[in-house]
Parts: sequence; C-alpha cells; structure tokens
Amino acid sequence: MAGSGRLSGRQPVGGGAPDFLGRPGPTAYHRLNPLTKATLATVTAIAAVVLGGLPGPILLTAGAVILPALSARVLSRLLRTALLLALPIAISAFLVNLFFFPGGSQVLLRIGPITATAEGLGFALEILVRILAISGAVTLFYLTTRPGDLTADLERRGINSRAAFVANASVQTVPAMVERAAQITAAQRARGLDTEGSIWRRVRGIVPIVGPVILGSIAEVEERTMALEARGFTRPGRRTLLWTPADSTRQSFARWLLLIALLGLIVVRISAALT
Amino acid sequence: MTELRTDALTHRYVDGDISALDGVDLEITAGERVAIIGQNGSGKTTLVRHLNGLLRPTEGRVTIDGTDASRLTVARLASRVGLVFQDPDRQMFAGSVRSEVEFGPRNLGRSGTALDDAVNVALEASGLGGEDGTNPYDLGQSRRKLLALASVLAMHTPVLVLDEPTTGQDARGVARVRGVIEAVAAEGRTVIAISHDMRFVAETFERVIVMREGRVILDGSASQVFAADAWDALTSTHLEPPLAAVIGQRLKLGSTPTDAALIERLRLHDSG
Amino acid sequence: MTITLAGIGYRYAGASKPALIDIDLELGEGEVVGLAGPSEAGKTTLCLVLSGLAPRTVGGQIRGSLTLDGEDVDTWPMHRLSQRIGIAFQNPSTQLSQVTDTVFEEVAFGPMNLGLPRDEVISRTWAALSALRIDALVERDPRRLSGGQQQLVALAGLLAMRPAHLVLDEPTAQLDPAGTQLVGDAIERLAADGASILIAEQKTDLLASICSRLVVLDEGRVALSGPAADVLADPRLDGLGVAAPSPVRLRRAAEAAGANVARLAEAFSGD
Repeated sequence: MAGSGRLSGRQPVGGGAPDFLGRPGPTAYHRLNPLTKATLATVTAIAAVVLGGLPGPILLTAGAVILPALSARVLSRLLRTALLLALPIAISAFLVNLFFFPGGSQVLLRIGPITATAEGLGFALEILVRILAISGAVTLFYLTTRPGDLTADLERRGINSRAAFVANASVQTVPAMVERAAQITAAQRARGLDTEGSIWRRVRGIVPIVGPVILGSIAEVEERTMALEARGFTRPGRRTLLWTPADSTRQSFARWLLLIALLGLIVVRISAALT
Repeated sequence: MTELRTDALTHRYVDGDISALDGVDLEITAGERVAIIGQNGSGKTTLVRHLNGLLRPTEGRVTIDGTDASRLTVARLASRVGLVFQDPDRQMFAGSVRSEVEFGPRNLGRSGTALDDAVNVALEASGLGGEDGTNPYDLGQSRRKLLALASVLAMHTPVLVLDEPTTGQDARGVARVRGVIEAVAAEGRTVIAISHDMRFVAETFERVIVMREGRVILDGSASQVFAADAWDALTSTHLEPPLAAVIGQRLKLGSTPTDAALIERLRLHDSG
Repeated sequence: MTITLAGIGYRYAGASKPALIDIDLELGEGEVVGLAGPSEAGKTTLCLVLSGLAPRTVGGQIRGSLTLDGEDVDTWPMHRLSQRIGIAFQNPSTQLSQVTDTVFEEVAFGPMNLGLPRDEVISRTWAALSALRIDALVERDPRRLSGGQQQLVALAGLLAMRPAHLVLDEPTAQLDPAGTQLVGDAIERLAADGASILIAEQKTDLLASICSRLVVLDEGRVALSGPAADVLADPRLDGLGVAAPSPVRLRRAAEAAGANVARLAEAFSGD
C-alpha cells in the first residue's frame, strides 16, 4: 500500500518481464506484423474486385490467400470458415446472376419462366470467385492475428489507447455474447418458450432471447465501466505498453509495395475502361 | 403426481471424453424435498438439465411420471418441471415485474383470471407483491433473483428445480426462499435444489444427494449424509459439513446436521 | 492515510428517495472495518461513494464531504482517486478487462493505464501477484479461471495500483465454498499484513474473523457502529436483517432452550 512500504519492500518473484509476453505465433506467417497482414488482406480484397476476368482473381486467391494459409497451417480452417462466411451471399449472388443476367442469349437451362444463360453463368462465376477471394483474405487475417496484437501495434503507432481498447474489447466480447445467448435461450425454454415448433413461433421467440442479451449486456456495461475506471482507464494520455509486435524495414517496404501495386492496378483498370 | 426417475443416465458433452454424468440411477417421488450438493463440475447442473429436456442422455433414460422424457419437447416438459436458473439476468426481458412473471404461464397456455391469480400468488410468495409495474432492473440483484423464482413459481409445475437459490441473498432473502420451498412442498409438489450452502441444505431438505465426478456418492437424509462417518466422502469432494454437525461431533452428541438438532441433543444430554 | 466521510447523503439519478442519509465514517490506516446490513440497505452505494465512483461514474447527487487526510477530494478525477482507494465487486468476471490472455497482463492493466515506466509496471505486477499468492497463475487465461481465482486476480489488479485503502463489496457473494475460502484467506492475510480494508459482507463469520470495527446500515443510515465483537453480539442485529455469526447464534439458541451454554462455548474454542 502507498506509504506502508509493505508491498514495495517484497522481493518480486521472477523479476523482469515474463518471457511468455509477446508469445510468438506458431508459424512465420503468424509472426508477421499485424499491419502487414492487414495490408495484405485489404489489398487482396480490393484487387480481387478491380482485376478483370476470371483467371486474375483465381490466381490472386491462390497466391495471396491459399499459399499463405498453407504456410500458416490454417488452410482447412480457412476453407471451412471462409466458405461458411461467404455461403449465403455467394449462393444468392450466383443464382441471381445465373438466371437474371440482362442481355444473355445463349440459353443453358429453362425452369418455368426463368432462364439460365451462358453469359449469366460466366458473370455469376466471376462474382462468386471475387466473393470467395474477399472472404478468404479477411478470414486469413482473422485466423492468423490476435485482436490484442493488432490493437497493441496500432497503439504503438499512435492510436488513442482508449479507442484501441474499445476495438479490442468489442471483438473479444463476441464469444462471451454467444455463450450468453445460449444460456438465455436455455432459461427461456425452461419457461416454456417453444424453439422447436413452427416458424411463426420461433420468430415470436426472438424477443425473449434478444431482449436479455441486450439488456444484460447493458447492465454489464455499467459494472465493467466502473471496474475499468477503478483501474485508471480514463486517465488521459498514452498508456505504457508491455509488448508490441515486431516490425521490420523489409515488412514496411513490402507494405508500401503492395499499396503501390494496388494503386497501379486501379490506374491501369480505369484507363483501360476509359479507352 | 410426478415421479422422476433416471436409469443409468450418462451424458458426454460433444467436445469432451469425460462423462459429465456417469451412470446415475435416481428415483424421486412426488412431494420430496431433495438437495443436490457437490463441487463445481460434479455433474449437478448437467443432471438437472436432463430433468426438463434441455440436455438429452447420451446413454440411459430419464422418465417423468412414467413417460420417457426424450419423447417430449422442452416446451412440453416445462409444464411438468420448472427450472429456476442461477443468474436472473440471463432471463429478464420484460419491462415490468408483472409481465416477466406472466411469460412462463402464458407459454403454458394460461390466460384470464387463472393467469392473474397464478401471477399474484407467485409475486406474494416471493415478497414482490406491489412491485407489479416496477422495471426488473430497478430491483436490486437479490430481489431480481426472487423475481426469477416467482416467474417459475407462477407456472405451477409439479416439480420445481432451483439452481443455487440462496447465492447472493441476505438473511431475509434466504428465509423467503426457504418459505417458498416449504409452501410448495406442502402442496405435495416436488422440490429439487442445487446448493452449496450446507446449513441451508440441512435445514430445508429431507434428502441430500452428493455428487462427485458425474456419480452419486451419497444419498440419504441430512442426518445420514452429514454424520461423521460420511465426512471422508464429503471432504473427498471438497465439501464441508454444516457447523452444527461439526460441533455436535466435537461434543460427541451423534449426528446433528441442524442447529435445532444440536441444541436438542445438547439439552437432552444434560438432562439424560 | 485516513478517509473521512462527514454527513454523506447520496441519491441515485432519477431515484425518488436517497440511498444514503447522513453517514459519518472514518477509515484509518491499517484498520479493517466491516459493513453489514440487508440487501439494498446501502452497502454497495456506500462502497461506490467511498471509491469515488459515485457520483463520478454512476452520476447522482452527493452531499456532505469525503476527505483524505483532511483534503477534500471533490475535484479529483477517477484515475487519481483510484490510486488512493481501490474497489472490488462481487461479480468475478465483470471486473476483468476481458482483453488480456494472461493473468500477468491482467494485473498489469492498471499500472499500464497509469502510464508508469515499463520497469515499474512489471515490478508492481509481480509484487501484487506475490501478495495474493497467485504467482503460479501468471500464464493462465483469466477468463478460464474459477470464480474465486478471478476474484484474486481482480484484487491483485487493484493492489498493483498501490491504493492506501481497499473497499470490497461482498467479494465472496457469488463464490462457492472453495472460492469463499480462497478469497477469505487472502483477505485475512492482507489484513494481517496491515492493509486498510472496508469490507461489506453478508457472511458475518468472515467479518468476525477479520474486522476490528463493524458498521451496520439500515435503509441508508448507520444503525449500529462500534467494535466488531460488540456489534456482532448485539441482539438488535436480527431485527436489522443481519445474521449473527455462528457462535453467537448457537449460544443464543442454547440459552433459549435451556441447554448447557458453557459446553457449547468449549466446542467453539477448538476453532
């Protein structure tokens, strides 16, 4: 305690910063600076849209998503998660374009009043590949980067500490929220809420589940805010960081290169479209 | 009235190899007051969630009043077995105390005066009469717990299951919970409670079931379960007998799980 | 360092009646003071006022004065007060920052926010971990610990702020017996080491074992106050909704039944 000298007089066990701080990731790709990985994800996603045709985005995905995922040993998880993420949009976009592509003439299939055309198929495939590329790029970043590492890196570069915390906490709250929703569902089912019946019943069941999720979160926010304030959270100015992810000039160079390449690609595409 | 039964009930969670429940055989007759005690992870919560169908057996069977529980949906089972969860904030969603308490019985198809009566009785019993219009979040934490209790009481189920009903309650709150349990039992309904308050358990329940690692290791009256020869089994699962039992043992008065038993034996011992 | 509350009244924003009325309280250095009373008597509110969270974070209106060694702290911002008075709550998990993967970083959270030099953050963290004997937990994920362990981590996080006083609002209320034992023992050790603590609790047995003084609140006012042993033996406790500690309770029951009180007392001396 301040003044009593009791705590400050103790010999600290361990002494210096523990070596598990800044745990290195399992692979070289994991160990890349979060900003580098974020840049790669962003550039890949935008490039997938900007590049014309079909081979371009496919090669891009292979090189900027599949290969890194392989080296980071997250390929199977990536495929599962990215596909899951993209599936709803991908399927609907694919079907819409397949059947409703304007100006399609070469008919492939007729189902009642609607027709699938070859042009539609081509376009649908292009859309599909792009959606998967974006989903893949984002998922790769998510699977190889801890949210805390990204925010720590941004904080080092000057982002406001409290903003970084909020971003970090928001992401990390999701699993807890999901678990909370599951518990709330159980409690409401125990009071007779029917989640196994007709669609209409299930829709009516949304309020008793979403309600407590929101209300409970709000109530919790007040407690958590108090706990944070009790630990100096609102002190203005920068806070001390125990560890930040490593960076290198090579990575910095690579990031700039990626951005310039993207810019170049955009310029080329725009001029091609104008001529 | 409802009889609950489990036969070789086993449950393994999807991501685990260890059995959360390992061959539990239990029979609970109508009107019994049963407490289930055990360390965290002993299977208490897993067990009671099988009673209303929230969990289904991996092996074995749960029978409610002669019917296999796996044939009934959770919504149907809710009319037979009411379960009060430990954290009231995992269920509050209504704008008023009254609406919150109405939710359960409405789901069971009650309406009109029958509904109103059920809600009034439940609110009175939980000490919340007069708070009809209050927002649940304007009640303190402990009264919200009583509100959760009221919301299940109003469903008037033959079996009432309570998960840690006295945690976070003050002395009056504990007395209130005890009163509710006694009133429910007096109607011939079954009450099952998970609790780690040994004194509350000894003073409120006639039967105590002790669980460890998914199995029942002791099952008997409070007097038997808290008697000195059972202490090794209790401490093996990090439970302590109630203080009255410990003092009774020190004074060599036999098994005295409750204050009243201890004092009575002490008095008799002197005069005897 | 002495905290003095004089004539403190407090009303939550939008509340029809005040939560605290005319409270006088003094917490000196090295004292362990207990706070008892039924739910909603004002224990939590008093803890919030003492720590400064009321009115700074919680809002509401306050009257009367809160002084540290005679100095009025009205204008002090929360981050300054948090370095004099630390507060812990009942819910073990909401006190965690939820953004750290190790106990070490969780405990370091406070000193990091204070912008202290890196070396000092590290040494304070080790000292706090050591004071609560949770060195063995340093690498563990705080979110996966038991309730009792999480409370110890929360306490360590407070100690790392080097407050002169600790305010504990029912720290064992949501814990199982194992957790209560763990946290109770830790608080006893801190008290024995000379920490200044105000602890609100329902468990009067715990209060009996560590507190030198006890204050009982009833509907926002101080109903009883004095040396712990005296207050805990006061017959008015029951009427105030506070359970007497076990030895007192059993002794009274024995007296009422005409049983041998002396023998009962002997059995307790073994504790």
